[in-house]
Amino acid sequence: MNKTLWICGVVLVMSMVLIGMPGCSKKSIQSGGDSQSTQGMAKGGSSDSSKSGVGSFPDTGVQSGGGGLRGLDKNPSEERVGSGTMLAKVDPSGSAERQMDEIRAEQAASSAAGMRDVYFAYDSWTISEDGRQALSRDAEWMKSNTSALVKVEGHCDERGTSAYNLVLGEKRAKVARNYLVELGVGANRLSVVSYGKERPSCNEHAESCYQQNRRGHLAVKTGK
Amino acid sequence: MTQVKLISAWFGGALLLAGVVGILESGAADVFLEATRPDFQKISLGVAGIHNAGGPDWLGGRIEEVLKKDVQRSMVFDLVDLPSLGIQTPDVGNGMGVGSKAVFKQAAEKGVSVLVWGKAGLKEADKEADVNMEGFVYDSGSEELVGGKRYAGSPSVVRQMAHRFADELVFRYTGEPGIARTKIAYVAEQGTARELFVMDYDGYDARQLTADGFLNLMPQWSPDRRFLIFTAYRNRNTQDIDMIELATGKRWTVISLGGLNITPALSPDGNFLAFASSHEGNSEVYRLDTRTKAIQRLTVNPSGDLSPSWSPNGRELVFVSDRGGGPQLFLMGSDGLNVRRLTFEGDYNAAPVWSPRGNWIAYVCRTHKEYKLCVISPDGQKRMQLTTGPGVDDSPSWSPDGRHLVFSSTADGKSQIYMIDADGKDIERLTFQGTHNSAPSWSPAS
Repeated sequence: MNKTLWICGVVLVMSMVLIGMPGCSKKSIQSGGDSQSTQGMAKGGSSDSSKSGVGSFPDTGVQSGGGGLRGLDKNPSEERVGSGTMLAKVDPSGSAERQMDEIRAEQAASSAAGMRDVYFAYDSWTISEDGRQALSRDAEWMKSNTSALVKVEGHCDERGTSAYNLVLGEKRAKVARNYLVELGVGANRLSVVSYGKERPSCNEHAESCYQQNRRGHLAVKTGK
Repeated sequence: MTQVKLISAWFGGALLLAGVVGILESGAADVFLEATRPDFQKISLGVAGIHNAGGPDWLGGRIEEVLKKDVQRSMVFDLVDLPSLGIQTPDVGNGMGVGSKAVFKQAAEKGVSVLVWGKAGLKEADKEADVNMEGFVYDSGSEELVGGKRYAGSPSVVRQMAHRFADELVFRYTGEPGIARTKIAYVAEQGTARELFVMDYDGYDARQLTADGFLNLMPQWSPDRRFLIFTAYRNRNTQDIDMIELATGKRWTVISLGGLNITPALSPDGNFLAFASSHEGNSEVYRLDTRTKAIQRLTVNPSGDLSPSWSPNGRELVFVSDRGGGPQLFLMGSDGLNVRRLTFEGDYNAAPVWSPRGNWIAYVCRTHKEYKLCVISPDGQKRMQLTTGPGVDDSPSWSPDGRHLVFSSTADGKSQIYMIDADGKDIERLTFQGTHNSAPSWSPAS
């Protein structure tokens, strides 16, 4: 208990120091996704940190080494052992359910619109002839549904690293977006996001599955 | 140029030996790991039982089992099996009694350098009561009872008692803090979401840290072990870099420039954050001064640059770039100057991590269409492949003592987390639950 209070105090003081620093007054704390409360942290300006794009930063350098080891002792005194690194209990916010609902709504809207995915070859972000046909169909729909906003998601198969696949996924999403723009869809109606290999549509370790995962998926936005 | 390729380390034998000799003959001044040095002698250590002094039946055995594994993983000690040497392991109390002398003598004669034993029990008869553990150490070389430790805590922390004691042993004989109390952060699948977890370095006691129902990716530790920094998706649309404080669960966004913001890595002193962002078009490597908030762009080219990892002295970064076609490792100063390519073998080299001792960079290399672990020296002169066989290996991360790597692999089907010695020996699977565990990151030593 005392320790929690102490940490809150430290964070509070640290936040005040950060606010007081020149050039930092505009920076705001953004609660990521649906995070736990930011109590004790600075709340500068709006919750949108996009102006600066940089949030507050604690001092993460190592203050004291030592490792908490006291050495062996001929007459050892008793040491109390805790669970090691103190970990907060996860806050089961309603976020997971809300996200699931939104994902389902997006999927329903996309299939109702008959949006077609564009598939890519291994390691590639070049759009094939089949891909161009799929995107032409998608572009037609967007031109006749002028208020619809579409998110172009880039996906990869499980081969390769998580990090590089995020970059590869973004390349795939961007070529698909650019082609839609070429076909006359307003760029402001299209957003891109890469999910790399983190949201596969198929989970087997086989080429038949891999090719389904190497895709640009067009999701019709339903909410914000 | 001598290039050593170690294949299939587990079946070791002659091939492994040849490989190690090869490295040493290549004039490696900065010797690999002590464990592979011919003049390195592990200290032989025997555990003469953690005896039950009351308490549940499992208590002493549990502590002994955890302690023995810690001792082995330390790679400082050679764990000897006392019964197979004919050494009896009676309860010798605090080692001051007459009976203990005989055991010490016997162990010394059999070449056991360090003898460890102890006892554990409950403070009271109540099974919720605190556990007491005592551990003692005898050194054959100096023929003395070195000393011991006394621990108390709830029954839920008996593994931590063993870990603490193991780290004290490593500290006593090397001056290093040991790794038995370190943690591994990782990503686990929950439904279609991926959430952050933290577990003990041996795979036990996994705890969930996030529950926002979407993607939380590639966590990295802050140098002080208080925070994780990772990629998160705000409203599923934008990739930001978030931080979470472990003790409080407090979480906030630190980088939200637009576009892809991934692969954050704090410098060893915590003063800089290197990361990749595509907010100016394609993915480039940036460096944030965490005190002034000034952002400096370090790479400038139309290809993808990502995955920066700091050298232990903070002066250099290794990163991935596909400026030559496929992804390759490059080095640069932490100011972005003096860029040079490090890897030339194979057409896919990614996810580099600089070892805490500075002498190796581990990464994912593609060979024969499989994604495996490799290590390369920062001068590019020495290279070894650590893993073989089918499955996608990903996200290597060094133990703070530089003797092990943790990584994810689909070798057993689903993606799970494994530990491997830095020389490619002794693969140990750490996760068994769930459908997908990935992106492990080893904490600094405390």
